[in-house]
Amino acid sequence: MRKTKKEKQQVFQWLLLIPTVLFFCVFLVLPFVLLIVLSFRDIDSMQNLLDTYSFSHYIEVFTSDIYIDAILSTLGLAAVTTVLCIVFAYPAAYLLVRAPSRRLRALFYILLVSPLLTSVVIRTFAWIVLLAQNGLINDILLKLHIISEPLSLLWNMKAVVIAYVQVMLPFAVLPIATSLSETNPNLRNASMSLGAGRIQSFLKVTLPLTIPGIISGAMIVFSLAAGSYITALLVGGRMQPIFPLSIYQQVMQVFNLPLAAAMSISLVFIVLIFVGILGLILKRWEARMHG
Amino acid sequence: MKGIKIDHVSRIFNDNVALADVSLDVKEGEFFSLLGPSGCGKSTLLNIIAGFLEPTDGLVYIGGNNVTDLLPYRRNIGMVFQNYALFPHLTVFENVAYGLKIKKLPRKEIEERVTEALSLVQLSSFAKRRPHQLSGGQQQRVAIARALAIQPSILLLDEPLSNLDAKLRKEMQFELRNIQQRVGITTVLVTHDQEEALSISDRIGILGKGHLQQVGSPLEVYRRPANRFVAEFIGQVNLFEAVAKKDETGIYEALDYQTDENTTLNLDVGNLVIEQKQEKVLLMLRPERIHISKTLVEQRLNSAKVKLQEASYIGNALRLKVVMNKGELSINTPDLMFETLPNIGDEFYVYWDAKDLIPLEEGE
Repeated sequence: MRKTKKEKQQVFQWLLLIPTVLFFCVFLVLPFVLLIVLSFRDIDSMQNLLDTYSFSHYIEVFTSDIYIDAILSTLGLAAVTTVLCIVFAYPAAYLLVRAPSRRLRALFYILLVSPLLTSVVIRTFAWIVLLAQNGLINDILLKLHIISEPLSLLWNMKAVVIAYVQVMLPFAVLPIATSLSETNPNLRNASMSLGAGRIQSFLKVTLPLTIPGIISGAMIVFSLAAGSYITALLVGGRMQPIFPLSIYQQVMQVFNLPLAAAMSISLVFIVLIFVGILGLILKRWEARMHG
Repeated sequence: MKGIKIDHVSRIFNDNVALADVSLDVKEGEFFSLLGPSGCGKSTLLNIIAGFLEPTDGLVYIGGNNVTDLLPYRRNIGMVFQNYALFPHLTVFENVAYGLKIKKLPRKEIEERVTEALSLVQLSSFAKRRPHQLSGGQQQRVAIARALAIQPSILLLDEPLSNLDAKLRKEMQFELRNIQQRVGITTVLVTHDQEEALSISDRIGILGKGHLQQVGSPLEVYRRPANRFVAEFIGQVNLFEAVAKKDETGIYEALDYQTDENTTLNLDVGNLVIEQKQEKVLLMLRPERIHISKTLVEQRLNSAKVKLQEASYIGNALRLKVVMNKGELSINTPDLMFETLPNIGDEFYVYWDAKDLIPLEEGE
C-alpha cells in the first residue's frame, strides 16, 4: 500500500514536470538539433541548400581571419565586461547584504533588478540619448567647458562595454550577494581578533570565501556578453567586429544559413569551454572548503 | 598576563537594556565564567570586552589599559567562537598561523609557534588537514590553538563547547581547564551551562536580565546564592516564603506548605539571624540536603510526612518530587537510599538540618 502511494506521488511529480520539459524540447532542444544538422549542409553558389553534408562551414569559420578576429574580440569583450561587472557588483552586493534594515535591503533589491524589467531596446536607446554627439553627457561637459568639442562616445567598443556592464550587472550582483550572505560573520570577527584590520580581513577571509559567488556571476555574465548582439548593434553599430553580429549579418543580409549555423554552434562550444573551465575552478575551490 | 576590569558598563540596543551598569574585575590568570540564561547579556559583555560591540556607557580595561575605544584587532585578544569559526579555505596549519602572518613574524618563528600551539592541543599530526576533515572536538582544539598562538593578553571563549555532544563536552571542559592552567592566561568563558561553569571556573559571574546578580567561587554561588534568581538558575532548589513566628525566635512558618489540615510547615533556622527588611523572608533548601526516613522522625521542626508523586532514576541518584498536605518538595538522594525504586504514592518522612536553610534576597 505504502509503496503504491509513493509511486503515485512520483508519477504526480513527473506529471508536473511535463509542461516544462515539453516546452524545452520543442523550443530549445529541437531547434538546437536542427541547427547542428543545418550547419553541416552544403550550399551552392546561390546559397541554396544541397543534400550533401560536410565540415566546409566550420573550416571556413576557423580559417577566415575575419571570423577568427571577430571571435577573439568577442571573447575579449566578454572578458572585459565580466571583469568590470564583478568589480562593480562586489561593492553593490556587499551593500545589499549588510544593509542595516530589511526595508532598505528590499529597496536595494528592487533597484538592482529594475533594469531587467525594461526592454533591451528601450534601455539601449537611453544609452544613445546619453552618449550621442549631441547627447546629455557631451552637452553637460561642453557647457561646463571641460571639453571644447563633443567626444565620440557612441558607435565604438567602449560604448558596447558600458551598455553591457549596465545590463549584466544584476547577474553578477545576485550570486555574489548570496555567497556573501552565506559566510559566517564570526569568521570576520575571528580574523579581527587575530589582529587583522578590516581591509586585511576582507582580503584574506571574506573575499576567498565568496569566490564561488564571483565565479558563478562570471559564468553568467561571460556567456551573456559573448552571445549578445542587439545592444552591440544599437550602441556600437554594425561595423564592430563582434561575432554574434557576424552571425546576424550572415542570416539577415547574406542569407547563408548553414554558415550562420556553423558559426553559432562554434560560438556555443567556445563559450562552453570557457564556462566549463570556470566551473571546474569553482568545483575545485568548493571541494577545498567543504570536502 | 593581564587582568580585566569592567567599569560601570551599560549597553542599550534600541531602548532594550542588554547590560545595566555592570562592574567586574577578572584577576590575572583567573578562569572566569559569565553564566546566565540566553538573553541575559553575557554575550554582549564578552563582545564588549573583545571590542566587537561598543558599550553605551562605561569603560573596559585590559591589563590596566583603557581599551574602550580600541578596535578589536588592536586589543591582542584570543577568542574562540561557538561554531569554531575556522577559516574553511585554509589548512589547520594556516589557520593557526593566520594571526602570526598578520603580525609579519619571520617564517621560522611562525613555524615554531604553530607547532607549539598544535602540540599544546595534541593535534600536531593534523597540520595539513582542512577544517572540514576534522571532528567537532578537533575543530574546537584548532580554534583554541589559533587563539593562543598569537600569545594574547587574554582569552575569550564564547560558548565554545555548546556544539559538542555531552561526553565530548565533559572531556573538552577538562582539557580546556588544563590548557588554561598550563598557559596561565586570564580567561573569560561565556556559557549557559551551569555544570560547565561550576566545574571549570575559579570564579563565576551570574548575569540575569542585564544585571550582574552575583560574583563568587563555584562553591559560593551554589551554597550561598545572593538572590532568588541565582538560586533558581544554578541547580534545583526548594524555596520557602516564610514569616517569623511571634512567640518563638528562629522559627518561621512556610506560608505555602502544610504538614496536615491545620498545621503549616515550621522551619527552624537555628542560630541564624535574619535581617528582615520585609515581613516575609525567602529560605532556600537544596534538594540533596533533604534526608529521607521510612520511620517517624523525632523532630517537630524541619520535617514532614510526604507522599511520593514523581520519581526519576538518573543512575547515580534518584530525583523525587514529593507532596505534603499542601506544597511540594524536590529531593535528590543517592542511589543507595532505596534497595528498589520507590512506588508512586509511597509515604515516608523527610527532614533537614537548620543550617541547610539559606536565606535569600528577593533580588531584581
